[in-house]
Amino acid sequence: MPTFWLVALLLALSAAGFYGGRRRALATAAGNVKELHSLPSYYGYHVAMAAFVPAIAALAVWLLAQPMFIETRVSGMIPAEAVPESSTLGLVMSDVRRVAEGLDLAVEQGLLTAREARNAVAGEQDLRALMGEVGVALGSNVRPEVLEAAQAYRNLSNTGRTAMTVVVALLALGGFAWAYSRTHKDFRARNVVERAVLGLLILAASLAILTTIGIVLSMLFETRNFFGLHSWTDFFFGSTWAPNFRGGSELSILPLLWGTLYISFIALLVAVPVGLFAAIYLSEYASGAVRAFAKPLLEILAGIPTIVYGLFALLTVGPALADLFGKGGLLGVEWMAGATSVLTAGLVMGVMLIPFVSSLSDDIINAVPQALRDGSLGLGATKSETVRQVVMPAALPGIVGAVLLAASRAIGETMIVVMGAGAIAKFSANPLESMTTITTRIVSQLTGDTDFASPETLVAFALGLTLFVLTLGLNVLALYIVRKYREQYE
Amino acid sequence: MTDLSQSPAGAAPRKHGGSLLEKTPHTRKRNAAETRFKAYGIAAITAGLIMLLVLVTTIVGKGTGAFQQTFVTLNVELLEAKLDKKGNRNIEDIKKVTTFGYAPIIKGAMEAAVAELGIETSLKSKELAGILSKDVAAQLRDFVIANPDQIGQTVEFRFLASSRVDGYLKGRVTRDSIVNDKNISAEQLDLVDALAAAGVLEKTFNLDFITGADASDARPEAAGIGVSMLGSLFMMLVVLALALPIGVAASIYLEEFAPQNWLTDMIEVNISNLAAVPSIVFGILGLAVFINYMHLPTSAPLVGGLVLTLMTLPTIIISTRASLKSVPPSIRDAALGVGASKMQAVFHHVLPLAAPGILTGTIIGLAQALGETAPLLLIGMVGFIASNAPETLADGLLAPNSAMPAQIYEWAKRADPAFYERAWGGIIILLIFLVTMNTLAVILRRRFERRW
Amino acid sequence: MNDMTLMENTVDTQNIKISAKDVNVYYGDSHAIKDVNVEIEDKTVTAFIGPSGCGKSTFMRCLNRMNDTIGTCRVQGDILLDGEDIYDKRVDPVQLRAKVGMVFQKPNPFPKSIYDNVAYGPRIHGLARNKAELDEIVEKSLRRGAIWDEVKDRLDAPGTGLSGGQQQRLCIARAVATEPEVLLMDEPCSALDPIATAQVEELIDELRNRYSVVIVTHSMQQAARVSQKTAFFHLGNLVEFGPTGQIFTNPEDPRTESYITGRIG
Repeated sequence: MPTFWLVALLLALSAAGFYGGRRRALATAAGNVKELHSLPSYYGYHVAMAAFVPAIAALAVWLLAQPMFIETRVSGMIPAEAVPESSTLGLVMSDVRRVAEGLDLAVEQGLLTAREARNAVAGEQDLRALMGEVGVALGSNVRPEVLEAAQAYRNLSNTGRTAMTVVVALLALGGFAWAYSRTHKDFRARNVVERAVLGLLILAASLAILTTIGIVLSMLFETRNFFGLHSWTDFFFGSTWAPNFRGGSELSILPLLWGTLYISFIALLVAVPVGLFAAIYLSEYASGAVRAFAKPLLEILAGIPTIVYGLFALLTVGPALADLFGKGGLLGVEWMAGATSVLTAGLVMGVMLIPFVSSLSDDIINAVPQALRDGSLGLGATKSETVRQVVMPAALPGIVGAVLLAASRAIGETMIVVMGAGAIAKFSANPLESMTTITTRIVSQLTGDTDFASPETLVAFALGLTLFVLTLGLNVLALYIVRKYREQYE
Repeated sequence: MTDLSQSPAGAAPRKHGGSLLEKTPHTRKRNAAETRFKAYGIAAITAGLIMLLVLVTTIVGKGTGAFQQTFVTLNVELLEAKLDKKGNRNIEDIKKVTTFGYAPIIKGAMEAAVAELGIETSLKSKELAGILSKDVAAQLRDFVIANPDQIGQTVEFRFLASSRVDGYLKGRVTRDSIVNDKNISAEQLDLVDALAAAGVLEKTFNLDFITGADASDARPEAAGIGVSMLGSLFMMLVVLALALPIGVAASIYLEEFAPQNWLTDMIEVNISNLAAVPSIVFGILGLAVFINYMHLPTSAPLVGGLVLTLMTLPTIIISTRASLKSVPPSIRDAALGVGASKMQAVFHHVLPLAAPGILTGTIIGLAQALGETAPLLLIGMVGFIASNAPETLADGLLAPNSAMPAQIYEWAKRADPAFYERAWGGIIILLIFLVTMNTLAVILRRRFERRW
Repeated sequence: MNDMTLMENTVDTQNIKISAKDVNVYYGDSHAIKDVNVEIEDKTVTAFIGPSGCGKSTFMRCLNRMNDTIGTCRVQGDILLDGEDIYDKRVDPVQLRAKVGMVFQKPNPFPKSIYDNVAYGPRIHGLARNKAELDEIVEKSLRRGAIWDEVKDRLDAPGTGLSGGQQQRLCIARAVATEPEVLLMDEPCSALDPIATAQVEELIDELRNRYSVVIVTHSMQQAARVSQKTAFFHLGNLVEFGPTGQIFTNPEDPRTESYITGRIG
């Protein structure tokens, strides 16, 4: 039965278990609550959890594992000769899946009876047209191997689903029964339930590790596939980025890395001085009123979604710069070709990072002990001398950490560069030219029309993995520096 | 007598033996440096605030136009000869008339209007109809199919004008800019002026922008953000339903129960790292695991919601932990003191007291998730037209849809000034949501904040 | 020469360095210092004693206008340094603090080298024309701080790497590097161990040959050991001011007597 109803059934069973367990516990205590070891509700939770948790876990695991299992089984059925020249097993499998889905839909909508669907033979009916009618588009007529595989797919899926329902139901009922039988007034229900809850809490906490593992593995596998199709030395050390969907692409990360770093550099050039001076003024000079007014306003800049900044770069800053530097512009020079450029994206990204740098610096400056400032002022230094010669050197490691974090943020930023930086990969020192970045290319390679198993698409995973490692490295370094700095004052 | 206390002769003369009431030149220079330094600080803050002002004025200035649209009021004669040749009012027959078949009716209506208003024009009927949106035929057809009894009558309709006409009324399109434009001619603009003067054509508030569906490239005037708003809503439901319980559970474990061992350290390191991972990497994760491996439907809000849950989880965990930490240990001790178990102390006492902080953190996390675009690009939420409003919960979660930020990006990609205006308008709506959510969070925090 | 310095060691009532008249200090609405009149003499160690919170530190911080850094603080009355009102509008506190140095309760060397710690004051006040002069000033100050022998081989080592007593002597060396005329010391030994305390007290005795020293202290024994004049503060009032010997053996005010016999504070 469909998953939704299965889950609903489990929930109903758990609810029944709750009330049943509670009643039984009270019954064994002859209705006297004081005789029970734990509160009545714990007995209820005990039965409910025993019915629900193992069953839902089995359901989740089955739903995750079944597709992979079936996929492997059915792929094995397709002989190598059946895979056409221009195609791959992966594409054929997706055809198989679509045909299977189409057959299911046809039965559901009444266009075929279940028996007809089972016994369909390629060539006997116009299956392609039939698929089209139920909304499944196929590129070519259905081949016999594909149809056979699709039928196997459907069979396995059906058996799998029935088996799953049976197993889950058995687990639920079994859990119910076992827990119910244990329910007795001396049974330490609360301890058991609390231990189970603790287990669930640990599971939730482990999700963080699972996510990281998921991120790394998902990119690692495809990167490995990529390096199978394209040399890794060329990827890391080559100097051209020129994907060609017909093959023979040059896919090197260096031009992209250059664009990324250049834009981030300009962004930091804007954000660090402005953010730092803003933080210094707000923490050392500003009155309470000014601080209460200016700080939240600056924080608003941090809350604006990056798509807004991206649009701003594309439609306002870009054309404004082009008006200044481009053809027919104010300065009468032709340095800028279009609206997208490194400077466009860099300036806007800088504005986005101002509150980031400012609030991190603010924390760091406030952590410098007041005693140092007093010592300096006591010697007759002005406030600016104190800040420049005592506070800032003391805060320097922390500030460096903050800048590294900002750099990491800039390197990983996507929307502003997708809209403001352009698509051309090149090594150039001219900030008015448009240069693309790692993140932009990840988006373009994964949203294009190229075949998933081609190097042009898989390169995006390699890019993603490199980006992940790079930002992770910067973050770890930054946190290490800041922690060492904090130790100095504690 | 103070001479004797001076340093031996030959050393540097006392620089400040003079009166306190006079500022030495050196002091004056230092004070000037001080003033300059303060000026830099003020300049920095002002620069930041100016940028904010520029952003807000740009957004409001360019986006409010999207909330108004140009409409033409026309009387249309629903000719039976064209729409229902057999005269049976048979729905199947009526449906067979495609939108092409409605073109003559529209032309006829325009000619009639022009004649009635006494407007002189050299335009042919096709060009007359050209000032209307291409959407009009579909609108008429839907009406006729729903009300076949109206065939043969003359009905008053409010039609969308084409995006060029709309642009003309909004100042985007001028007589100079249309010189090479195939979609509109100067005579058509004259017609528009005349119709506007007659009161038949006007720019009014366009609710469809907020509630309607997206439209194809050729019809920016009909594009709306309503459907993507629903997509965003369903995604937020998924995020709320998943990230809140999991986040709170993880925080409770880490804050109250976790022993100091390598596993706990590992988890904490992972959480702080995940908080700083670029959002596009989560998009790659979503693509690889949810779409390629688990074969969940692409472009589904469920997938978007799952990806955003993973992104929001670290934020919620960090703020929940802060809330739990702020509850003083005396509360826990008091609960344990009357014989509660650790878990009862946490769930019955600590958690309710930390709840306002947790709520605030969740709202802020949701607001951040609402504005995320990059991961959505990778799981397929752009590149198509979000035109079908979901009807059921399952539909809402699983049917392909867009989300507000992705929709804005899509419009920006279409490189049409009419769509740009809609992109800015979409941003206004997105920001309204964000401002509301953040304000709500601040109000809640102020109201329920306890100072221990 | 020696005879003349010997004569300088006796208390000279005509050599007033700081003169405070009718000084009142308010923190917001709270009246912290009430009608204080006192005269600090040159080449003398004057001790401010009194129970916690009586206002001695607050009053001392008025003498170099450190209270300016606190927004809610208001000072009324006259405080004259060498006859000039330090709260006059024309006075820049920056110049004042070069003349009136301060040493704090907890040693607070900058996270710089020992050399840079001492050189900081002279640098900002432009007291040295070249490196050679600066070196001289640093050495002279470190000698006056009685710490030169211990650090002369490691002037580049960080100031924070010294022991507590050494750090405080470094701070004293730092304070005298600007050639002040008055040295204010706010409980300089309370964070130090007994041996370091003894070293610093010995140093204070040497310092009074050059400077006018004002020391706030919680320890009456310390006041008795190092100072020539003592002022007793209580609840914001200056209760009694006189030669140290007299205050501790024959106080005039009963409150003073209660304090030194341990009945209050």
